[in-house]
Order: sequence, then structure tokens, then C-alpha cells
Amino acid sequence: MPQQNYLNEILAVAARILTELRQTRRALMMWAIFPAAMLLLFGLIYAGDGSTQRSFDATAPGILIGAALFFSCLSGPVSTIVAERERRTLRRLLLSPLRASAYFLGIVLAYLAIALGQTLIVYGIAFFFGGKFHGSLLLGAVIVLLSVASYVGLGFFFGARLARRTEDATGPIAAVGVPLLVLGGTFFPTSILPKYLLAVAYADPVFHMNEALRAVSAKAAPLADVRLHVIFLFAFAIFTLMLGVNSYKKMLRQEKHA
Amino acid sequence: MLEQPLLKIDKLRKSFGARAVLHDLSFAVATNEVYGLLGPNGAGKTTTINILGNLLAADAGVVTIDAQPPSEATKHFIGVAPQEIALYENLTCEQNLKFFASLYGLDSATRERRVRDLIEQFHLQEYRHTAAATLSGGWKRRLNIAVALIHSPKLLVLDEPTVGLDVEARHELWELIRALQASGVSILLTTHDLDEAERLCSRLGILQSGSLVAEGTLEELRKLVPAEELAIISTEDQDAVHRRADTLQLACRYYGKDLTLLLPRKHSLKEVVDMLDGISLHSVSLQSVRLEQVYMEVTREIPKP
Repeated sequence: MPQQNYLNEILAVAARILTELRQTRRALMMWAIFPAAMLLLFGLIYAGDGSTQRSFDATAPGILIGAALFFSCLSGPVSTIVAERERRTLRRLLLSPLRASAYFLGIVLAYLAIALGQTLIVYGIAFFFGGKFHGSLLLGAVIVLLSVASYVGLGFFFGARLARRTEDATGPIAAVGVPLLVLGGTFFPTSILPKYLLAVAYADPVFHMNEALRAVSAKAAPLADVRLHVIFLFAFAIFTLMLGVNSYKKMLRQEKHA
Repeated sequence: MLEQPLLKIDKLRKSFGARAVLHDLSFAVATNEVYGLLGPNGAGKTTTINILGNLLAADAGVVTIDAQPPSEATKHFIGVAPQEIALYENLTCEQNLKFFASLYGLDSATRERRVRDLIEQFHLQEYRHTAAATLSGGWKRRLNIAVALIHSPKLLVLDEPTVGLDVEARHELWELIRALQASGVSILLTTHDLDEAERLCSRLGILQSGSLVAEGTLEELRKLVPAEELAIISTEDQDAVHRRADTLQLACRYYGKDLTLLLPRKHSLKEVVDMLDGISLHSVSLQSVRLEQVYMEVTREIPKP
């Protein structure tokens, strides 16, 4: 009997998702061209007739969090899980020796790779217009990682619990997600929010992602300055991952009885 | 009973809440055999497959696959080609095969060899680099089965393998299934298509309400219909046919909507028409007992457990 290797299983699942993405131009457009176009538009609009350096410094973090990672790392796992059920491949996976946790981690790994690619695209464009990542790369990576973990956890929850078809998922994600993006300061600084809305924004995880990354990226803020955002994100990421794992386990139990 | 069956199921029971799905189900599949498991929807076929695949635990009874109870290890012994085509539509035929090969832990050389062999065996060479989404139904079915064979299982479970296919594609797939059996693969075939079962299976089990109501070779099963030959009669005056059958001491049955006279020996068509002399007939045809009649004979009015 061939030897099962846990790492190989994770890599196989991740590679399969990335191969499918490469061969699906529509998804590639959504996840690469959409954030690039949004960054260009907002960067140029905020620059006005002046320097693009400051505007791209300020807009790149928000676009990465809101226009790139949100759509890839939240909508992506939803699509993956829902499609797996719709196409009945999930049952096929369950009949194979693939471990449930390897499947989960394979999906997480695939979207981490996509997140890395999107980060390179967004900051590559920002650098082209004179923008820079001013702060600690390590701290920036931690914030991006916590954001990805939060999105993926929520993606598992939506995909495993709420959506039986792809169309079921797009409505709730748009209805809940887009207001959170706007309130979280993805497309404009939260300093323009009225006080009562700013108070509401503190409960929005996207707000903490944006504020933390923008402070580190554009203002070279140290950990001490963003620690409350990081703590919030850490707790939120743990919560959503637990929620995601729980929903995923429930889905597998249902699928085995289907 | 088979001496050393590859798959042995003995007094298997499974309930979901108060609903008993499998009730003392017993059958065995020999090495290099195509065993047909027939039965209406809800008879327990999918639950049986789920137990074999270690997705569900049985409430009672014994299941062994190559002398081992279902476990994560026995997943390497079984390949399941599900009724619904379960493929990654955006991946090519080769990529689908390679992905599933890696889940079964095949090393790189074995993976390449198995993919090459299956592409050849299923005549997929032309579509090797074609996305599954763009294949026709027949080619998707082939790939669906090929994926189930990627890890060289000892037992292949085919769940309604030809459903939705045109006549030509069905015949091509039947040829493939025969070739698989010839190459040494044991096959458990679940199907609603009795013609398919007749053509492919060396033994058959008819499942109803979670237990087998008949089992044997096609010849053995035919004997369950008390007739050497059947006369299918089309008439407006069915009561007259019943009365004549009583007079002649012949049994009458409705197989579906067909009024059928069960003849204990072979007759010519003229003899049968003469038997029914005086009754207005639209048509009379003679045929030997087929699996369809056996199936309807054994599945009618079976007391529920």
C-alpha cells in the first residue's frame, strides 16, 4: 500500500486549487485585475494634480485588505467549498484517504499563496508610482496573515453552513461585506467618518485590518502603536477559524450521511 | 457461499433514527466477478456503498474487504465511481487523474505510469489535455471511472455507470467494464438498468427495503418466475383473459402494465392464440423470462421489516 504523506496531501489540495484558478480566467481577472484597477483609480484620484507617492502610500493597504484579500480569501473558500459540494467531488474526497484536516489546511495554503501574489501586485503597482512600504515588513506580514486567517475562517463558515449553491453565497457576502469594507475605511480614510459611525467602525474587523496595515505601511508605525488593532485581529482570527473549522466538521458529517 | 470472497457483507444493519435502511443485508463478491446490486431508490444501495467506503459505521453485522473491516486503510482497496459525475471541471483529464493519484499517496513514477495506462485503457489520449468541463457525457463517464481506478483498487464500485448516456456510449462503456473484469478487477455494480445488469453481471442481488430478496446467477433468478415462457397480451377484455387462464390453469401477472400469461412450457404463437380463441386481441407476443420480470416478481408485496 502506498505511504500517505500529510504534507503531500496539503500540497496536492493547494496545487489543485491554484491550477484551477490559473485555468479559470474569470477568477484570475477578479483577483488580479480588479485590485490593480481599484488601486490605480483611487491612487490617481487621491493624488489629484500632485504627487502620487503619498496617495499610493495611503491607498495601497486599504486596497490590499478590501479589494484584494476580501474577494480572494473570503469569497474564494466559499466558492471552493460550495463548488466541491455542487460537483459532488467532496463525496469523492471523503471516499479517498485524504485527511479532513489536510483538506482544510490545503485550502488555507492555497489562499495564502493567492494573498501573497495579490500583495506583490498591489505593492508592485504602488512602488511604480513612488509608493513604499515604510514600516516593518514582519509586522505588515503578521497583519496580512491575521486578515487572511479571518477571511478564510469566515469563508469556511459561509461556504459550509450558509450556501448550498454559489449564488446563495454571493448575496450575503455582498450585503454584509461591502458595507463593512466601506465602514472599515477601505476606499477612504476613516478620519472623515462622523463620530457615531467611527464608534461603530471599531466593531468592524476590516477597520482594524486597514488601520493597522495603513499605519505600518504608510507611517512606519511600530507594534506599540497598532497593538490594539493586532490584538483585536488576533482574537477575531482565532474566533473565525474556530467557527470555520466547526462549520466544516458539521458539513462533513452531513455529507457522509447524504 | 463463496469460499474466499473479496467483499463479504453479513447481516448488515443500519438505521437513521427510527428508519431502518439496511436490515440483515448479506452478500459477497468474489475476486474477478461483476456482481450486480439491483433495487429501487431508497432500497439501501448508497448506504451500503457509504459503509464500504468507511463514511458510515454499521449498527450491526460484519463487512470485510479483502478480509479487513472498512477503515481508512481499506480505502486503498476500493475505488468508487459515483453516479453523479464528480470531476474538477476546470482541470484536464490528466490533471484530474494526477490530483486523485496524489491523494492516494502514489509516488511520482507510479503516478505517471497509472495516468498513462488509464488514459490508454479508457481511450482518452485525444482528450488528455482537455478540460473535463468540455467533454461530452460519455467521455466524462469514462474519466469518472478512470479516476476511481487510479490507485489500482481490488474492488471497483460502479454506481449507475451509464445513466444518461446514449445507446452508443452505453455500449462502449459496457465494453470497458468487461475489459476491466478481464484484467482482474472485481466490480460491484449498482444499476436500475436491468438490461445492463443482464449483460454485465455474473451474479445479481435484488435489494428491497434494506435486505436481499433474491440472489443468484441470471439463470438461477429466472427460475423465480414460474414459467418457461411468457405471453404478453394486449386486449380490451382483460377479464376474459383471466377467466381463460383460470380454465387452463395458467398463472396471469401484470408486469408493469403488461398482462402476461405464464406458460409452463414453450408454445408456438399459434398455440397461444388458439388458447385465447374467442377473445378480442390487439396483439400477442412470446418472450423468455427476463430479469425485468424476475425483478418485478420478487419485489412485489414484500412484507416490510
